[in-house]
Amino acid sequence: MRRIVSSLVDGRGFDILLVGVTMLFLLVMAGLPLVYNVLMSFQQVDMFTLGAWVRPWAGWDNYRAVLSQPEFPLVMRNTAVFVFGSIAGQFVLGFAFALFFMLRFPFAATIRGLFLVSWVMPGLVVGAIWSWMLAGDYGVVNAILSGMGLVDRPLFWKSDPGLSIWAVTVANIWLGLAFNMLLLSVGLAAIPRDLYEAAELDGAGAAQRFATITLPMMRSTIGAVLALGLIYTLQQFDLFPAITEGGPANSSNVAQYWAWQWSFQVFDFAKGATVSVMMLAFVLVAAAAYVWSTRSEVRG
Amino acid sequence: MTRLRFPWLFLSVALLLAAAYLFPLYWMYVTSLKGASEIFANPPTFWPRDPDPAIYPETWIRRTMPVFLWNSVVIAAGVTALTVLLGTGCAYVLARYRSGWIDVALFVILMLQVLPASVMITPLYVGFNQIGLLDTPRLAVILAAAAKAVPFYIVLVRATFMNVPRELEEAALVDGNSRWGAFFFIVLPLARNGILVLAILTFMTAFGEYIYSRSIITEPRYQPASVGLSGFLGPNSTQWNGIMAYSAIYVTPILVLFVILQRRIVSGLTAGALK
Repeated sequence: MRRIVSSLVDGRGFDILLVGVTMLFLLVMAGLPLVYNVLMSFQQVDMFTLGAWVRPWAGWDNYRAVLSQPEFPLVMRNTAVFVFGSIAGQFVLGFAFALFFMLRFPFAATIRGLFLVSWVMPGLVVGAIWSWMLAGDYGVVNAILSGMGLVDRPLFWKSDPGLSIWAVTVANIWLGLAFNMLLLSVGLAAIPRDLYEAAELDGAGAAQRFATITLPMMRSTIGAVLALGLIYTLQQFDLFPAITEGGPANSSNVAQYWAWQWSFQVFDFAKGATVSVMMLAFVLVAAAAYVWSTRSEVRG
Repeated sequence: MTRLRFPWLFLSVALLLAAAYLFPLYWMYVTSLKGASEIFANPPTFWPRDPDPAIYPETWIRRTMPVFLWNSVVIAAGVTALTVLLGTGCAYVLARYRSGWIDVALFVILMLQVLPASVMITPLYVGFNQIGLLDTPRLAVILAAAAKAVPFYIVLVRATFMNVPRELEEAALVDGNSRWGAFFFIVLPLARNGILVLAILTFMTAFGEYIYSRSIITEPRYQPASVGLSGFLGPNSTQWNGIMAYSAIYVTPILVLFVILQRRIVSGLTAGALK
């Protein structure tokens, strides 16, 4: 007993206690639900068996049922549009902004910091504001677009099935742009200045310097930013209930919102679990890419 | 990079970009000050004809905002307390050593950081229901949200601990401190700023938490402000000045806190941004 106490106070036990308690918490609150989720996707879980400890086994029935839903291909397509549209928009704009704010002009860092406001705002509020700005008849986005002569009649962002997924994607690009910019700025700042000076002396133009110095030096940062973009986009939920609720007719529904609808609107928890297990496969690929691209820094 | 020839030109471009980016925030405040008919003006007015803040007290009372905001504070405070309590010590140990076990722990934490809340909510809800945690819905949300916040917190606080010189701690141990003494009296004070910034960030994130609260808390008197907002928000909403006033009341404290702490938040994030 005394050995244990003294180890807790002064030895290995101290470390094991600090890490152990936290890991135990995470295991119970995250690891266990993860396993339970997979289990439920093979069970029959509805309002009647919700509280039961032993439930009827469903085998692959849930997976077959989900795959044969008429909206399944649409939801998958929307998820792909949302993920790739968001990542492309956030990354390209974020990179352009990061490069611009690396230039030496007064207050560059301060103004760049302001952009991060989007990152601390509740997702639902961001969704509410964009929902209002994208409104068909009275929305300010349509007013600006037609003022610039880009459209001749209002676009019904939220109710046009061809546009609704883009309404959410635009809002998500706004939301994630600042974070992309910040991470890319950190990577840019780490590139030694003298590389650019040497290239300039050798007569390399701006485009050449970007292609031969910036991009290769940023490789691991870019990898991490893209992987994080995928992870955060698949985590994005709040914008959907705030802007379109997945509608009209599932035209803006994505896997993460669909899974939630199965569980909390249809109350078929097994199907919800099934959709999220399918989604998890993608998330884990992204996570592996992310962990791989940051391995050197994390150990550091 | 060479010095720019016209720095003020670039500064004005930067200000324009920032103004364009922050336009949604401006639009929120402007809309909330417009009258019920002016919000449907076509084309919209970019400055209210007749600014009227009367919608603020009205929304505050009619939407029972004090209840919602209080619940948000309770949930955010609970998540922050639990996260700091569980995360700080763990981050410290993970920053101190290098071994295969530490790598495994870090890997697990990074993997947990990426799990979407929309994946976790179904098993958490069903599990909470089975063990009776749904009877204390705010506690259930705190536990679920803390599990999401802890990995993120650990990764960033660990980066702060990495910057605390190990020699100081070793000197304290030689002077006869226990590991606990060295941790509490030497290491923690030195890492105080980083911990504080990340605790505030955790609070802000939890203050806006939505999906867990929406799914777990069914009784309006326990719901946070995000769920309260969703109550009058949908594809067919029309009370936009009320919604924007609600949003403004909800986010202004966060925005003020952010502007005050902007420098520290940005440096706290970039210290371990990619980790």
